[in-house]
Amino acid sequence: MNKPLQRRLKKFRVFYLMFLPVAAYFLIFTYYPFFRGLVMSFQENRLLGARPFNGLENYRFVIMEPNFLASVKNSIIIGVWDMGLYFAFALLLALILNEVARRTIKQSIQTIAYLPYLFSWAVIGGVWALIFDLQGLANKALSLFGVEPIFFLAAPSLARPLIIAMGVWRSMGYFALLFTVAIMAIDEQLFEAARIDGASRFNQITRIIIPSLGPTMKTIIVLLSIGVLTHFDEIYVMVNPANRRLISTLMLYIYETGILNFKTGTASAGATLVMIGTVAITALMRTLTSYDEG
Amino acid sequence: MARHLAKRDTLPLGVRIINSLLLVLVVLLMGLPMLNVLAVSLSTQAKSDTPGLVLWPSPSTVQGYTFIWNHVRFGGPFFNTVYVSLVGTVLHVLMASLAGYVLGEQRLPYRKALTTFVLLTMTIPYELTMIGIYAVNRDLRLTNTYAGLIINGMISGFSVLLMRNYFMAIPLSLAESARIDGASEIRIFRSIYLRLSVSGLMTIGTLELIRRWNNITMTVTLISDMKKWTLPVVLRYILFDQTSTSGTSYIFANAKMAAVVLTALPLVILYFFTQSFFSSGIMIGSIKE
Repeated sequence: MNKPLQRRLKKFRVFYLMFLPVAAYFLIFTYYPFFRGLVMSFQENRLLGARPFNGLENYRFVIMEPNFLASVKNSIIIGVWDMGLYFAFALLLALILNEVARRTIKQSIQTIAYLPYLFSWAVIGGVWALIFDLQGLANKALSLFGVEPIFFLAAPSLARPLIIAMGVWRSMGYFALLFTVAIMAIDEQLFEAARIDGASRFNQITRIIIPSLGPTMKTIIVLLSIGVLTHFDEIYVMVNPANRRLISTLMLYIYETGILNFKTGTASAGATLVMIGTVAITALMRTLTSYDEG
Repeated sequence: MARHLAKRDTLPLGVRIINSLLLVLVVLLMGLPMLNVLAVSLSTQAKSDTPGLVLWPSPSTVQGYTFIWNHVRFGGPFFNTVYVSLVGTVLHVLMASLAGYVLGEQRLPYRKALTTFVLLTMTIPYELTMIGIYAVNRDLRLTNTYAGLIINGMISGFSVLLMRNYFMAIPLSLAESARIDGASEIRIFRSIYLRLSVSGLMTIGTLELIRRWNNITMTVTLISDMKKWTLPVVLRYILFDQTSTSGTSYIFANAKMAAVVLTALPLVILYFFTQSFFSSGIMIGSIKE
């Protein structure tokens, strides 16, 4: 009975051989670190030597830690605002861009809006630092309205809005492009039919374009929800003593605790909690958008 | 063009004006900051640190660039990042096509199990396994090495599945007839499957190159030795670290912005060369799994 399978396995042995490096990579660098992190979250903070298990001690510690709790709050505020604003601005941009009749203009604007998405957060940070400098473009623009110069990057009240705006500035064009691609895919006949029925352009937008974007909207919301608690790069780049308290996120907490301060147990417990949180947020978003029902 | 215009209804004039104004605002908000960075990077030391809306530097100079290149030694991290990104990308594309080819072979026993094995890796967020990744790399002595930066991320479930989909679209009869002609599996893979999937290879290659060039998280996880930092991490240090000086001299805004431009420019160039692959990459990236 096993004969044919054995023969087939033998026939495809080159394939298994080709798959071997890939399998090895995933086992060593993806699966193993994941389980190792889980195990470490139940062990004492020790980088070298034997690590005695200490049950739920790390979890108990981390949920009482003020820094962790502050980063939970920051992560949720920044993550949720980012998700909502990325979505809203991208949709708006795609819709207004779609009303531009001339293709060259449309594509040029699209490219300009998309460009920052190519750049590293460090580059975006550099642009931001220049624009929001005391002598920068933003203050220059405000001075036209008679507003006194503001030191944006050190003002606590502006710390979160600036980080959120930075994300919108970088990502709006990318997500708008996803919407644009979906708008282009709408069947031209729908518009013909609407025109025959005498529907105005405005009605065509609200009755044809927006409903057709349903699936894309769902996909983007679910995509964005996965990232709500994992903001790291932009925080790593922009964090300074003046804004730390307000923008330090969970990922920064895990990085600083585990990698910089070698408290691997504490950091792993934090990471595990973030993982559970991410699964919960994603599940919630899937339910709210009835994503799995198509 | 004219036909296209005629076919389309338009919004009332008032709405169209608002629409245009919004678009002008978008262009200004996106474009001005980038132009400003470019202009400051090309202005003189003195000019770059004085107030004023600089959109066109006069006089213009490459002083900032020579300073950042020679005095801050930006060239080192620049070429190291080129090396790490290119080697990493080539390996990534190679591994993804190997695995994609295997998973695309429909008669392969245990194909479903292997596909699930790859799919599951996409549900493990890399950021959240940071500590485990650090521990494993330290045990393998890969921390503070470029080998570590290259190996980590050498493959991704996303790229494997993308290549698999490309390969599965190629008619089986092509491989069959090659097999009858006595071609080896490796040969079939190389001269039929790879050759017919160039746009797929380019798509994952471009996306991976950008990801690697911009990567901050992996670098700061694995590399603590400043001398081995990659470009974005060095750039952050130059821009924001209080103690960031080259020896004793202060880094002026023109040099800082020159560093920003040097980090960003290769990607802009890459973008314009590979634009056609972007749309396909973007489409695929958003497809519901």
